[in-house]
Amino acid sequence: MRIKEHPILHAFAKGVSVPFFLDGKILEGCEGEPIAAALRAVGVMTHRHTSRFDQPRGIFCAIGRCTDCVMVVDGKPNVRTCITPLSAGMKIQTQYGVSAKEV
Amino acid sequence: MSKVVDRSRDLGPFIPHNDDELIICRCEEITKGEIRKAVRDGMYNLTEIKRYLRTGMGLCQGQTCSRFVRSIVAKELGLSPVELDLTSARSPARPIEMQTYSNEVW
Amino acid sequence: MKRYELIVIGAGPAGLSAAIEAASWGMKVIVFDENALPGGQLFKQIHKFFGSKKHHAKIRGFRIGETLLKEAEESGVEVRLKATVMGIFANKEITVMNGDHIEHFKGDNIIVATGASENMITFPGWTMPGVIGAGAAQTLMNLHGIKPGNKVLMVGSGNVGLVVSFQLQQAGCKVVAIIDASPKIGGYGVHAAKVARTGIPFYLSHTIVRTAGEDCVSGAIIAEVDSHWQVIEGTQKELEVDTICLAVGLSPMSQLARLTGCDMFDAVEKGGLVPRCNEYGETSIPGLFCAGDVAGIEEASSAMIQGRISGLAVAKRSGYILANEFLMRFVSFQESLSQLRGGMFGIEKKGCVVTQTDEGLPLSRTLLQKGYIAEAEIELFSGSKKCKAKGVHPVIECTQNIPCNPCQDACRQGCIIVGDQITSLPIVTDTEKCSGCGMCIISCPGQAIFLVDDDYTEDSSAISFPYEFLPLPKAGDMGMALDRSGQEICPAEIVKVRTGKGMDETAIVTMKVPSEFANKSRFCAIYTES
Repeated sequence: MRIKEHPILHAFAKGVSVPFFLDGKILEGCEGEPIAAALRAVGVMTHRHTSRFDQPRGIFCAIGRCTDCVMVVDGKPNVRTCITPLSAGMKIQTQYGVSAKEV
Repeated sequence: MSKVVDRSRDLGPFIPHNDDELIICRCEEITKGEIRKAVRDGMYNLTEIKRYLRTGMGLCQGQTCSRFVRSIVAKELGLSPVELDLTSARSPARPIEMQTYSNEVW
Repeated sequence: MKRYELIVIGAGPAGLSAAIEAASWGMKVIVFDENALPGGQLFKQIHKFFGSKKHHAKIRGFRIGETLLKEAEESGVEVRLKATVMGIFANKEITVMNGDHIEHFKGDNIIVATGASENMITFPGWTMPGVIGAGAAQTLMNLHGIKPGNKVLMVGSGNVGLVVSFQLQQAGCKVVAIIDASPKIGGYGVHAAKVARTGIPFYLSHTIVRTAGEDCVSGAIIAEVDSHWQVIEGTQKELEVDTICLAVGLSPMSQLARLTGCDMFDAVEKGGLVPRCNEYGETSIPGLFCAGDVAGIEEASSAMIQGRISGLAVAKRSGYILANEFLMRFVSFQESLSQLRGGMFGIEKKGCVVTQTDEGLPLSRTLLQKGYIAEAEIELFSGSKKCKAKGVHPVIECTQNIPCNPCQDACRQGCIIVGDQITSLPIVTDTEKCSGCGMCIISCPGQAIFLVDDDYTEDSSAISFPYEFLPLPKAGDMGMALDRSGQEICPAEIVKVRTGKGMDETAIVTMKVPSEFANKSRFCAIYTES
């Protein structure tokens, strides 16, 4: 899902490739890019399940307004992944209601 | 400006619509049917609806749904959306942790 | 508490322009923005802007952003990023979230330039992963280099829907269709035409009924609507898409302005609730100004001028400019703004049904209904007239009065005239002089100019057109010529591909087609490489 070459913007200035964890699974993303971008790049669509109707949600506005893409990041819930930069070794968990699923 | 709604007015019985299950407030997961019912329960302006149902009180603070709620309530009351005042705008304008909010530097 | 002569909220086109203007008169200015990058939405805009030279026409949005940032830096404006304004209180005091704490600032003047937020529409499945705003698509692909999806349905045919559809194709996504509940395309005809010729179909008077898919979008069910916006039973069809992109308008982001207590009013033509401002953008609270989309939805180009005007007014209010200096500059900004607001899409024409151009020519109905202009319709416009006996000449398929004139400046031979009124349709005058340089093709933000050489060989014509996709064709490649609707019509051979530094990433591709297809061929699909 990454754009390799763009007719107008050419290559994108990206951070180095770093490992991170999604629900315990190891994945790769670019350091400094929003967590949501790194997840979309590897095809992850669902960021959380809602508390009332248990429905999946993902990226909606991508600029930190709608708060639909929130996940549990390094143990902290309700983190807006579209505006939170990825760093090496981050532990990201799908959010169920307001917490991660107990493992 | 907000129109004063006659509270003694009979809005008639609640008639279910086939899109009543549609989610309007994404954060608090409030449906269109619940908003329509709330009007018949006596919530005649947007502040009352908000306090009764929590529409627009979730994480995003009504970024997306406030327009929808306004038009649904207006339709139930037979008004134009602009005749209903929006709920008060208050600080903080964005989601913030209480710890940060209380950590003031002058 | 720190005190500034001017606090600007929002580092987008309006906010930065306001800050630059005020700082250039010697004021001490600070700009706050909640984002990690300045420029607002400008850095997501990779298309060329409309307008005239003084409006930065034919420059791509992100480059205008770069220029603004440089100017802000040179004029001594302090820009604080990741600094979210949380509230505005009495006596122009504001609170700003900065990392783990809240800071207090006080301004002698405040300019609110918080921009707009996207409108959305509701339908069963609209909360499903895969349904995104058009802004989200732009953010992912143009800022972060990530494709939002592979197969996309665009909902909304306004300029945002059209521009983002084109950008999705540039990013390598396939736009399956553009739908709109309105029976007419909402955006500029030239934007519609450039997406139509790549083969994207328009479904007007269509709405989205629901999404398909369990955990994320795997399809969209669309259906035709009647004149009361009700779905016509039996017209449902499913499109196989993984992404549904919503481009259904913008609303002024006026929460911060509202909590100052200034007078507000609801205005349909401005996109929602906006502060009541005078011609300088000053609200009912003296020294509190609003500029850009927060005061009414328009384009980035007009937001920049509105910002300039507010910045200028603040400088006058604080005693940095003499009245006559102020007036001269204000009048020139106002002229520039009224030029951008002219034309059939201008703010004064909102809600009006326009059936003919200022020149009295009938507007193309197929352009409004299908996204491309019919061959019989285009012949009425003087931009498309063949005014040269032999050889290469420009064909300008610009048929609506929009504020734009870079083609006039681009032609060194003086073949193209728009005139003083920048919303006038371009006229091709003396094409005997056309050298085929292609500068007009590159300069047109609407990609509506072609060079046609009817005498390329005895029985073939050469068509040159702008090309902004990858892979770029090479001379010798074989393919099919596409007509204005994106249909394959005849074999085509690529005979020339021009690229270069001064061409701002727009390539000029020249293809050879049989002469009888010269007036139909406007794009190409490449099949075999040479």
